[in-house]
Amino acid sequence: MNETWPIELLAAAMVLGTPLIFATVGEIIAERSGILNLGVQGTMLVGAVSAFWATFNTGNLMLGLLTGIIAGALISVIHAFLSVSLRVSQIVSGLALTLFGTGLASFLGRAGDNPLVGNPSAAVFKPILEGGLADLPVVGPLLFGHDIIVYMAWVVAGAASYYMFRTKAGLSLRAVGEDPASAEAAGVNVSRIRYVHVMIGGALSGVGGAYFVLSVRLVPTWQDSPIGAAGWIAIALVILASWRPWRAIFAAYLFGAAARLGLTLQTLGEPWSNVPSTLLATLPFVLAIIAMIVFASGERARHLGAPAALGIPYFREQR
Amino acid sequence: MTQRRFIVEPRGLASAQLNIAVPVFSVLAALVVGAVFLAITGENPLEVYGKMVDAAVGSSRAISETLITTTPLILTGLAAAVAFKMLVWNIGGEGQFLFGAIFASGVAIWLGDSVPSALAIPVVIIASAIGGAAWASIAAIPRVYLGTNEIITTLMLNFIALNIMNYLIFGSNSPWRDPDSPQFPQGRPMPDSTRIPEFWNRLDYGILIAIAIALIVYFLIYKTRWGFELRVVGDSANTARYAGIGVSKKILAVFLLSGALAGLAGGLFIAGPVGGLDPRSLVLGFGFTGIIVAALARLNPIAIIPVAFLMGGLINAGPALQSIGIPSATVTMLQGAILIFAVAGEFFIANRIRRPDRKTEDASEKAGAAV
Repeated sequence: MNETWPIELLAAAMVLGTPLIFATVGEIIAERSGILNLGVQGTMLVGAVSAFWATFNTGNLMLGLLTGIIAGALISVIHAFLSVSLRVSQIVSGLALTLFGTGLASFLGRAGDNPLVGNPSAAVFKPILEGGLADLPVVGPLLFGHDIIVYMAWVVAGAASYYMFRTKAGLSLRAVGEDPASAEAAGVNVSRIRYVHVMIGGALSGVGGAYFVLSVRLVPTWQDSPIGAAGWIAIALVILASWRPWRAIFAAYLFGAAARLGLTLQTLGEPWSNVPSTLLATLPFVLAIIAMIVFASGERARHLGAPAALGIPYFREQR
Repeated sequence: MTQRRFIVEPRGLASAQLNIAVPVFSVLAALVVGAVFLAITGENPLEVYGKMVDAAVGSSRAISETLITTTPLILTGLAAAVAFKMLVWNIGGEGQFLFGAIFASGVAIWLGDSVPSALAIPVVIIASAIGGAAWASIAAIPRVYLGTNEIITTLMLNFIALNIMNYLIFGSNSPWRDPDSPQFPQGRPMPDSTRIPEFWNRLDYGILIAIAIALIVYFLIYKTRWGFELRVVGDSANTARYAGIGVSKKILAVFLLSGALAGLAGGLFIAGPVGGLDPRSLVLGFGFTGIIVAALARLNPIAIIPVAFLMGGLINAGPALQSIGIPSATVTMLQGAILIFAVAGEFFIANRIRRPDRKTEDASEKAGAAV
């Protein structure tokens, strides 16, 4: 039996949690403006295929990541247009984006004469440090053994929290999510704020999707559904993070650990390895449902931080 | 005075033509979007669409296969429609479908070959409805009694149901797993006496049951007091409360009905063409496609029947595309695009857009100038 398994589990949870942080922070930003975006899963997939494609064709990792970001922002305009300009049901609109994005990503990955599917990525994100600090016990694998994106996730979550709660623009954002009519009366352009933040959310989802196919610690190969159910999990994590970006870090790592537990138990030998992996795979989802019922039922969601106008189309006063 | 280019104003009741034109336009617009992506990747869109039509309705065999796929889609479409009508966002059709299939096959295997079909088939079908409703209740009860948001719980339950099915077939020696195929895990075949008989090629009577249920749901929603109260709750929960309608009870009933309908989809599909709990045949996204069916049919139970046929043909075209080297994901992409245009269409059904009326404004300006 391997005695360092708790450290290995935590380190792996951080890797698996990293794309979840990006997607969750992105969704928090969109929801804070009052727009529920169920399109995260589709947006992540479009980000993933775009980033993979660009890296595949240029060999340039940063160019790939940038392409994923832009693609994520652009595809989420569909949801912004439907829910902000046309004011249709945000739920159905988000589902439509996810269906379209899922199909589009799979289509682009398999189309053409030299399809991406089955190919390894032309370049991958690797741990920054080899040896030295990264070889220290415990803190080595947890704090120093990661690639740049893991640290970028902390920066993004921190920056988003600062923006949301310490800046004037962040105040406008929250005002729009709480009470768009009053915000409009105070001179805030509700539609513009919602468009911009849905697109920022899409860009972050794009990063999350890209990380799945560009990280050497995950599976840097194009396949049809390279992100599992990460986009759906992210929507649940928003509630666990109580709409505060920095809390998304802990929520995402917890779910990363839950997702990883099956593999870890396999390495521990009897009797742990006898726990069926198919049942363990339900753990993140069971956790999400329990968290929903216990922490976010009824009025509790509001106390937790749910924006009051979340999911409600905003009609400017008819003039 | 600033001249506005367009005026958007709420429309009263949409005309019947518009109710048909918008869904038809949604499909056409989605085909155009699909054509763009097909052309970019070097395919001839018209040729591809021709192949799809051929695969869906090109022969009596193709039509019967499309009808087989239509059966579960009518029911998952109804499941989404009754729930969405009351603003119950049950997006767990996928999981309820699987639990319908798990219950139906479980009961069928338990009954064995000894019970006559006339009894066994109804029991299996009812079991699937109970399975779907039971799985929905995990989200429905917290929604009604605690106010827990059902969007996320129903969604998460989809993945749990999928993993439970995988456990029953791949992860254990459950009664659902075929003991005669230890190397290649698959569902244990259901006894013949529990299978719905076929009447045209491979098509079974499940399609007639599905159509009958659609008619019953239509009658229930539009022709009964219960359905009237349900529509009142859907329009405004507050109005319903003032009118003395038990809103919580209604929401619970509709949520469970929605789950039961999705479960029935799984039951009819497994007692019809599939014949055993086989993950590969069951995970085709019927639950999510049901949402597209409901949206395109504008939640009308009768309209769901032809729309389900359309979507069934689209799903069946997937494998045919794959065989000529075009990604079957073309189908998912088109489905997504159809849903995008269908929801956008809701705006045009609800609102009228017109140019500002030049005549009256010119007239008033002239009148102003004259003064």
